Amino acid sequence: MTAAATPNIVVPESRGATLRLDCDVVVVGSGAGGATAAATLAEAGLDVICLEEGGYHPTAEYSADIPQMIAKILRNGGATAIMGRSPVPYLEGRCVGGSTVVNGGMCWRTPERVLDTWVNEYRLEALSARRLEPHFEEVERTINARYQDPGSEGPNNDMFKRGADRLGWKLSKNRRNQIHCVGSNDCVTGCPTGAKQSTISTWLPRLYARGGAVYTHCRVEKILQEGGRVVGVAGRIVDLDGERRFVVRSRAVVLAGGAVQTPILMLRNGIQVKSGQVGRNFTIHPNVKMAALFDHPVAVRGAHQAWQCIEFEHEGILMAPGLIPLAFQSVAFNDFGPRLAQRMRDHEHIATGGILVDDHASGRVQVLPFGIPLVRYDVTDEDQRRFIQGAAYLATLYFEAGAREVYTPFHHFPRLRSPDDIRRMKAAAPRVQDTEYFTAHLMGTVRMHGDARQGALSPDGQVWDRPGLYVADAAAMPGTIGVNPQVTIMALARHIALHLGDRLKSRAAA
Amino acid sequence: MPTAFAFTGHTRRIARALVETMVPRWPDFDTDLTDPVLERLERTLDAQPKAVQTLVVAGLWGLEVSGPVFGHGLGRLSAIDRDERDRRLTRIAHHPFPTFRQGILLYQTLVNLCAYSMPEVEAHLGARRREWRKDRQALREVLVQLDEGAKAPQTPAALGSYGHLDPQAFIEFGAAERLRDAANATQTPAPASTDTALDSDGTEPSVEKPKTRKRAATPRRKGP
Repeated sequence: MTAAATPNIVVPESRGATLRLDCDVVVVGSGAGGATAAATLAEAGLDVICLEEGGYHPTAEYSADIPQMIAKILRNGGATAIMGRSPVPYLEGRCVGGSTVVNGGMCWRTPERVLDTWVNEYRLEALSARRLEPHFEEVERTINARYQDPGSEGPNNDMFKRGADRLGWKLSKNRRNQIHCVGSNDCVTGCPTGAKQSTISTWLPRLYARGGAVYTHCRVEKILQEGGRVVGVAGRIVDLDGERRFVVRSRAVVLAGGAVQTPILMLRNGIQVKSGQVGRNFTIHPNVKMAALFDHPVAVRGAHQAWQCIEFEHEGILMAPGLIPLAFQSVAFNDFGPRLAQRMRDHEHIATGGILVDDHASGRVQVLPFGIPLVRYDVTDEDQRRFIQGAAYLATLYFEAGAREVYTPFHHFPRLRSPDDIRRMKAAAPRVQDTEYFTAHLMGTVRMHGDARQGALSPDGQVWDRPGLYVADAAAMPGTIGVNPQVTIMALARHIALHLGDRLKSRAAA
Repeated sequence: MPTAFAFTGHTRRIARALVETMVPRWPDFDTDLTDPVLERLERTLDAQPKAVQTLVVAGLWGLEVSGPVFGHGLGRLSAIDRDERDRRLTRIAHHPFPTFRQGILLYQTLVNLCAYSMPEVEAHLGARRREWRKDRQALREVLVQLDEGAKAPQTPAALGSYGHLDPQAFIEFGAAERLRDAANATQTPAPASTDTALDSDGTEPSVEKPKTRKRAATPRRKGP
């Protein structure tokens, strides 16, 4: 073995005999769900191993070379997309810390109306606002959910706020898991200053403090089962020079590879519950990018997102600014060559933002013959109507803030020059196929439900019909939540891990 | 830097022709970005799955012979001049059939990401992204140092800028130096403000204090 940074982060040798480990609980994944579950279980006195498919990349390794960073910390080098009426690209972290390394760091609790639905419609009493409250508090304390330092927001956020204020629209100030975010504007390729509090600097140190460890480059391929009970995992050490296998035997397995990887792993291992719900109920919070040209500089420096406009939350529409580096700004326009080059001369004057829709569609993650994964989701016409309405709202906001032009995600209506154009855009009703979407919020593919006939997980996170197998990531969510999911994932993972810890300890005592 | 994935043979000619068409060009920018971007594109594809690599190569060949299909003429993409290639690719990028458009979108996304993240392009556009990262790293170090001696505020609002840094000057180059100079001049860290940041509903959030972390312990592993 070689150790990186701390002896608790283990980079296994890539050659040699099969690596064999034993522990109480093996956690697959080190992102929002996995790291939270692993730390919570270790603090319950259990021997925990966390397996991560990617490598360990601390702040010092985050370079300014965007393609290099994309290759290093994103799954498939960033080339991941959901198939459907219009393909939806998505980003998934593949490194120690998972997607918490590459997200924007927004910290929102699950809205109470959503939790009420989970209690009443999904029969999940344990997920009521009152019972999750201590978990939310612990999560927010651990990840340092705070407001931005005043002044660090930057003009991209200021312009958004100005437009909303002039229109009298309700804004909500974001808390983000950061300490002294200084507006580097490089969230998506790893915070270069260490301000963002990913699980690398929050939950995982708590795991290490209790003797737990993260093994990097471990791709789990098999879920070991004996007598109908799950007893460990096995797989290969990847991305290093060699072909070594590993086997981890444990009293319980917690899957936390995210809402796409977790059901794929289960289905490839033939784990489908009686209800047939593994891989179903896939929701993605589809969102679209918009941009606006101002007469004065608004971009380059500042926080990714300091505000959200919640005026139209009741319509399932959330709007927010979203500052991104130059290279990502360049792909917000459907163009190339000298024409794009000319437009990018104004890059400092271009504000960027987005619209998130609380979707009602339901996609599916499947495994085809030969183990080929298929991730499918179709944006519905109803959700598309909300995107068009949301685009109209955001364009109105930008014009109110003083924008000269607004750029939309609709192929046949790429540029709006006045409020009249907004009316024309709405009248044209752009189709799903003519819209460019994006997402980073994947949820619900192994959903919890109090009724085994309708869900894949029991209320304490165990897979129905499969003792010893738990899921503690965004896949466990019963449904869409309408806000950034990081805090919800962590709170659910903590709820699940505490139950599992109690169960294993009481069994040991018996 | 050599990579495992590389365009070879005639595929390389097609890829080069496509990149040459799509890279940014300005009259006051002398560097030809074609080869550096092509090399970055290969590195990017190297990290992507075989299926994506295959799709990209197949798509290049599709574009190479697409002239007659789209009614753009018989000439192969790699054999026509850059302006004509630009016209062809632009027409496909605006084709009524979404799948064709999305093909061009894939290539333009890859090329734009590779091109606009190059230091010389950032510098030409005045983005100063690399200097900005260094400036911000310095500023954060100073803020963290100052906070170590500061009293924890009574709210979970972020530390540091309170009493230390004028919000108007936060998003400016050189804030770290100014802050350090100011701290040296007073010789004592400024006290944290008791300003209260309110939730959106106007309520005061709960108290939060900075954390200290334990040092990592050696894992209890059974294994080699």
